[in-house]
Amino acid sequence: MHYQGDYSWGYYMSTRSIGSDPMERVVKLASEKAVVIFSLSSCCMCHAMKRLFCGMGVNPTVYELDQDPRGKDLETALMRLLGNSQPVPVVFIGGKLIGAMDRVMASHINGTLVPLLKEAGALWL
Amino acid sequence: MANHRVGETGLTDSGPSSNHHHHHNIPYAVLHGMNVPPSFMHQEGSAFDFGELEEAIVLQGVKIRNDEAKPPLFTAGRPAATLEMFPSWPMRFQQTPRGSSKSGEESTDSGSGVNTISSKTENQVEPESPISKKTSSLDQQQQVEMASDISRTGTSQNQSAAAKTPQEKRRGSTSEKQLDAKTLRRLAQNREAARKSRLRKKAYVQQLESSRIKLTQLEQDLQRARSQGFFLGGCAGTVGNISSGAAIFDMEYSRWLEDDQRHMSELRTGLNAHLSDSDLRIIVDSYISHYDEIFRLKVAAAKADVFHLITGMWTTPAERCFLWMGGFRPSDLIKMLISQLDPLTEQQVMGIYSLQHSSQQAEEALTQGLEQLQQSLTDTIAGGPVIDGMQQMAVALGKLANLEGFVRQADNLRQQTLHQLSRILTVRQAARCFLMIGEYYGRLRALSSLWASRPRESMMSEDHSCQTTTELQMVQPSQNHFSNF
Repeated sequence: MHYQGDYSWGYYMSTRSIGSDPMERVVKLASEKAVVIFSLSSCCMCHAMKRLFCGMGVNPTVYELDQDPRGKDLETALMRLLGNSQPVPVVFIGGKLIGAMDRVMASHINGTLVPLLKEAGALWL
Repeated sequence: MANHRVGETGLTDSGPSSNHHHHHNIPYAVLHGMNVPPSFMHQEGSAFDFGELEEAIVLQGVKIRNDEAKPPLFTAGRPAATLEMFPSWPMRFQQTPRGSSKSGEESTDSGSGVNTISSKTENQVEPESPISKKTSSLDQQQQVEMASDISRTGTSQNQSAAAKTPQEKRRGSTSEKQLDAKTLRRLAQNREAARKSRLRKKAYVQQLESSRIKLTQLEQDLQRARSQGFFLGGCAGTVGNISSGAAIFDMEYSRWLEDDQRHMSELRTGLNAHLSDSDLRIIVDSYISHYDEIFRLKVAAAKADVFHLITGMWTTPAERCFLWMGGFRPSDLIKMLISQLDPLTEQQVMGIYSLQHSSQQAEEALTQGLEQLQQSLTDTIAGGPVIDGMQQMAVALGKLANLEGFVRQADNLRQQTLHQLSRILTVRQAARCFLMIGEYYGRLRALSSLWASRPRESMMSEDHSCQTTTELQMVQPSQNHFSNF
């Protein structure tokens, strides 16, 4: 379910200064936990995203970018990754980019979200 | 008022004055069997002088009671032909033998003069009807009284006859043939009343028909305008207060509804014709694309005017009852379909229930997100000392902008649900399923318009139907008219 092909991962993985590059930070953070949501505390759609996963019984890891000192950079990186002006909410499952709310919804409706969650160990039957 | 009434009897299109000859324009009072000087009958002018009429009737009554040889006041310059109003009578009267030559001459004159009138009125005879019978009996009652009065006074006189006719002559000439004249007069009056009633009834029915047509046309216009989202008096919005984005969407939506009908009939014929699966698949896919189109249109509409979508002003009232975030609730739709989709394989059943479950979860998530938006908005604009009002408003505006995102996500959910349905079901099942969906919303829309057009007393007070009802009142049976005299 890659959003934007392999271009972004390959390039950023090879650079040296992993920690300082916002995109690398995004990737790092995304792969640390089963379900990772990048959010803004004031964003209502992010709230909806969180409620969706909680409603399914998943315990997502949420990064509120407005509470991160380098949050702005991360937002920019996410904007580039998604290819639109809305950086959040965005979900990674098992380190893989799922996408924004519309992708998550579509995935849930067509029945592919739950298997992904199970695969990542975020859901047990 | 009088003119209006006369016109309403339906004999002329334009009231008392018309291009027709006077004998087509039998004045009001004449038809109601009242004593009227002949001048009234031949009036070409637009004004029908009720004052003169009343005077004539009053004086006639005086004349009858007094049995004096006084020339009536109103006949100055005009012959007092009291029986001119019974066009058919002179004909009959002419046939009966007359006592004096003078009266014979008079009757001949009157007969010739008035015969033309009667013959003309004969042309206007309409078939008998209950209403005319009823009114004619009423007329007869009045006319019988008048007839008896008149027969006492004298014969009719033509306007071409001498200006003044002595009372004695009239009295003398009728005394011998009083009985015959009386009966004949009565018969003539009855005939006349019946004829007049038939004409009145025809006019009344014509009025009813035209009013009915006007009403249905108005209703159609109203429905069309409503479906296009224009607010008429009584609705929530003010006239003209609809954004261009909303108006555009409403027009696109009404076109989409027309397309929907077409697709539905395609589905119906496809199912009934037992087409092959591949052929049916084409029809089903085109129906899904048809729905994709409305969701595409709604994206633009949400950007242009999100409130138009979220308040449901683009839909009908009954649909609005079930509105969720600017459209239908996917889990409700599945609930509606579940019982009708039998028979389903076990896998299909699981798929449908899983779809219902996931759509419910998604709906709940979006609803909670919207609730947080509302709370945040309230917090922004509610109470407290406003340090910087403009800043507060700007923040609130920013928050409001998020509404568009929620409506878009809701539409996305709806679209995904329909696609998933088509994946779970076989082609034939999907065709039936989409037909069911189309029919369901069609019925809901029909319910809305039935509700809007249901008969209510309050309808009478609305402007567009006010005219209709008053017009109808004008042409009612003439008990009212008699009471005035």
